[in-house]
Amino acid sequence: MKLRHLLLATAAVAGMYAGSAYAAADLFPVGQDARFSWKSLEDFKAAHPGLAGQKLTIWDAWSSEGDKSQWEAVLSYFKDATGIDAQDNSSKNYEEQARIDLQAGSPSDITILPQPGLLADFAKQGYLTDLGADTTKWLGDNYAAGASWAALGQFEGKDGAVHQYGFPYKQEFKSLVWYSPDNFKEKGYTVPKTMEELLALTDKIVADGGTPWCIGIESGGATGWTATDWIEDIMLRTQPPDVYDGWVKNTVKFNDPRVIAALDIFGSIVKDDKKVAGGTKAVATTAFGDSPKGLFTVPPQCYLHRQASFIASFFPEGSVSGQDYDFFYMPPYASHPELGNPVLGAGNIATITKDSPAARAFIDFLKTPIANEIWMAQTNSSFLSALKSVNTAAYSSDALRKQGEILLNATTFRFDGSDLMPGPIGAGAFWTGMTDFVNGKSSKDVADQIQSAWDKL
Amino acid sequence: MFQQILAAVIAVVVALAVCFAYFWGTNWVLDKLLTPRPGMSDDALTRRDTLRSQIRPWLFIGPALLFLTVYLIYPVFETLRLSFFDKYGTKFVGVSNYVWALTDETFWRSALNNAGWLLIVPAFSTAMGLIIATLADRLWWGNIAKSLIFAPMAISFVGASIIWKFIYTYKGPGIEQIGVLNAVVTGLGFPPQAWITVPYLNSLLLMIILIWIQTGFAMVILSAALRGIPEETLEAARIDGANEFRMFFDIMIPQIWGTIIVVWTTITITVLKVFDIVYAMTNGEFQTQVLANLMYRWMFISGDFGRGSTIAVIIMLAVLPVMVWNIRRVRSELGTA
Repeated sequence: MKLRHLLLATAAVAGMYAGSAYAAADLFPVGQDARFSWKSLEDFKAAHPGLAGQKLTIWDAWSSEGDKSQWEAVLSYFKDATGIDAQDNSSKNYEEQARIDLQAGSPSDITILPQPGLLADFAKQGYLTDLGADTTKWLGDNYAAGASWAALGQFEGKDGAVHQYGFPYKQEFKSLVWYSPDNFKEKGYTVPKTMEELLALTDKIVADGGTPWCIGIESGGATGWTATDWIEDIMLRTQPPDVYDGWVKNTVKFNDPRVIAALDIFGSIVKDDKKVAGGTKAVATTAFGDSPKGLFTVPPQCYLHRQASFIASFFPEGSVSGQDYDFFYMPPYASHPELGNPVLGAGNIATITKDSPAARAFIDFLKTPIANEIWMAQTNSSFLSALKSVNTAAYSSDALRKQGEILLNATTFRFDGSDLMPGPIGAGAFWTGMTDFVNGKSSKDVADQIQSAWDKL
Repeated sequence: MFQQILAAVIAVVVALAVCFAYFWGTNWVLDKLLTPRPGMSDDALTRRDTLRSQIRPWLFIGPALLFLTVYLIYPVFETLRLSFFDKYGTKFVGVSNYVWALTDETFWRSALNNAGWLLIVPAFSTAMGLIIATLADRLWWGNIAKSLIFAPMAISFVGASIIWKFIYTYKGPGIEQIGVLNAVVTGLGFPPQAWITVPYLNSLLLMIILIWIQTGFAMVILSAALRGIPEETLEAARIDGANEFRMFFDIMIPQIWGTIIVVWTTITITVLKVFDIVYAMTNGEFQTQVLANLMYRWMFISGDFGRGSTIAVIIMLAVLPVMVWNIRRVRSELGTA
C-alpha cells in the first residue's frame, strides 16, 4: 500500500520531468521566424519516419549552464521531429568519463568531444562507427574549407584503414584578441592590422605606464592549455601550414628551432613582468576565466586578452559587445605575406559509439541548417558554424556574425594543435611544459622536455 | 531531485532487506538441512554438529569474500597483467613499462615527492597529535580545543584543498590580496608570493593540508592511549622526583609506544595514497607531482593502461611492507598473534 503510493509519486514526477524537457521547443516556434531554415526541419522529419519511442543517449562536453541549456534547446527540435527520446549527458571530466564508458562497454549512443586526438585513439580501438564516404563528400561540399573539416573526423580504424568516423559540429574561433573600445579610445590606441603593429602596441602601452596583456593559464587539471593556444597561433603566423601539420605529428620535432622561436615570441610577452597584469608570477596561478576581468576594471589592469570566442561568456554580467568589449582577429605578420590569413580554431566532433537507426538519424539532423541556426540564434551563445547553407542572419549578435563570416571565408584553417597531438603530449607534456616555461624554464629546456616525452611514447 | 532521494531511500531499504534475507535465510536453510533427526546415532549427531559449525562461518563471510575478490583481489591481478601489456592492454610488451618508469624523469620526481611526504607528514601529524593530546588534558577548554582540531577529519580532502587554496591564493602586486597568507605577508610590508608555484616550498605547503587533517586523528587515538596509562606509574615517577619532561619522555611515551607506531603507520598508508590534495591544488604542476596522481594521469587522461597499471603496481609494492608491518603491530597489540 505504502509502496504503491511511492510508485505513483515516482511516476507522476517522471511524467512532469518528461513534459518539461519537451517544452523547450517553444523557444523559436516552428515556422514563425523567417531567419530559420524551417524547411530543412520539415525535410528531415519526412525523411526519418517510424523512429518514435526509440532511445538515444548523447555524451558531450557541454556541461556548463549556458551551453547545456542551449544545446538541449536544439535537441528538443530533434526530439519533436522524430519522437526519439534523446537524453543529453555530460560532466566536467567529460574526456575521462567517455573513455571509462567505452572501456566498460557501456558507451552512450552518440559521443561528441572537442578532442580529435582522443577520438583517434577510440577509433583505433574499434569503438567508433564508420559514417561512410558519402559523409566525407557531403562535408567537402557543404562546409567552408570542407576538406579540412572532413579530415578532422577521419581516423585510422582497428582495421588499419582510414574512415570518416567523426562529424564536426559547433565550431570555435581561437585567433581573437579582446579589448575595450572605450579604453582604446581614451588612450588613442588603434586596432593593429599586423603582428608587428600588435607588438609595437604592446611596447607603447608599457611606455605609457599601462600593462598590455591579461594572461591566465590556470585551469585545474588542464593548467597550461591557454599558453598552448598562443604557441599554435604564433606557429601559424611564422611557419607555413605544412610545418604546423608536421609539428602536430612530430615529423617536425618539438625542439626544432622553428618551434623554439615561437616559444620565444610568446616568452617575450609572458616572461616580461611589465607586459602582463600581475607580473609573470600571476600567469600560472590566475584562472583562464578570471584573467580577462582585468579588461573591465577602472583603471584597466590590462588592454589586451587573447582567447577563443567562448570567453565572452566569462565577461562581467551586463557588459555589452561592441561597447564594453570588442575583438579583433589576431593579425598575421606583414613580413610573412605568403602565409595569408591563418585561422586557428577548434570544434566538437560527433561520433556514433553505438550504432542504431536513431543514431544515424541524429547525424543527419546535424547536417541540417536548422540544427545550427537554433543554437546560433540563442542569446549569449558562442556557437559558430562552418556550414555554408546556414543563414548568418540568425546569429544572435553582430560579434558572433563577424566571427562566423571570418570562418566561412577562411583560407588556411588549422585545428588546435594540442588537441591533435597524442594525449600524453597534447593533454600532458605540452601543458606541463608551458606551465614550466611561464614559471621560469628556458624555451630550449621546455622544448627538449616535451620532445623527450614524445620520444618515449 | 525528489526522484533521486526516493531512489536512494529505496536502494538503502532494498539493500538492507537483501542482506538480512541472505544471512537469516542461509542460516535457516543450514539449520533445516542439518538438524538432528530422531533415531540418529550419537556419532552421526556429532558429525552433523561439527559440519554445521564448520559451514556457518563460510556462509557469513561469503558475501564479504565475494566482494573482496571481485573488487580487490581480481583488480590486483588484472593490474599486474596490464602492466606487462601495451597502452590498450592487448599486446604483451614484457617489462618495457617498468623500464619506462625507471627512466622517466617525472616518475622519479613523483617518487621523490612521495618520499618527502612520507618523511614529513606522518612524523608531524603524530608529533603534533601527541603534544596536543598531552597538553589539552590540562586545560579547562582542552575538550573544545580538541574538537576544533578534530573537525578537519570530517572534511573531505578536496574540500580541505579548496579551503587552503583560498589561503595560498596569489594576486599581482598592487591588487587586493584575497589569500590569507598573502594578505598577512603584504600587511607586514613584503611583496606577495605565488606560493604554490615555488618548487619544494609548494610541496611543503600541500603537506601542511594533510597534516592539518591528520593531526586530529592522531590526537584522538593517542589521547585515548594516554588515558590508559596506569596512574601508579605516573605517581611513582612523581614521587621519585621526575620533572614533567622526564615523565613525558621516559614514562608516558614508552607505555604508549605501540599506539604511536600504529598511528604512524596508518598515516603513512594514507600518505602513500595521497592524490586528492595534489589533484585539486596543483594537479602535479610546479614539480609537485606524486605517484597516485601520475598514475591517474596516465590511466585516464592519456588512456595508457600499461603505464598507468605499472605505476599502480609500484605504489602497491611500496605500500605492502608498511601494510604488513602495520597489521602485525596491531595483531601483537591485540595479542592475537
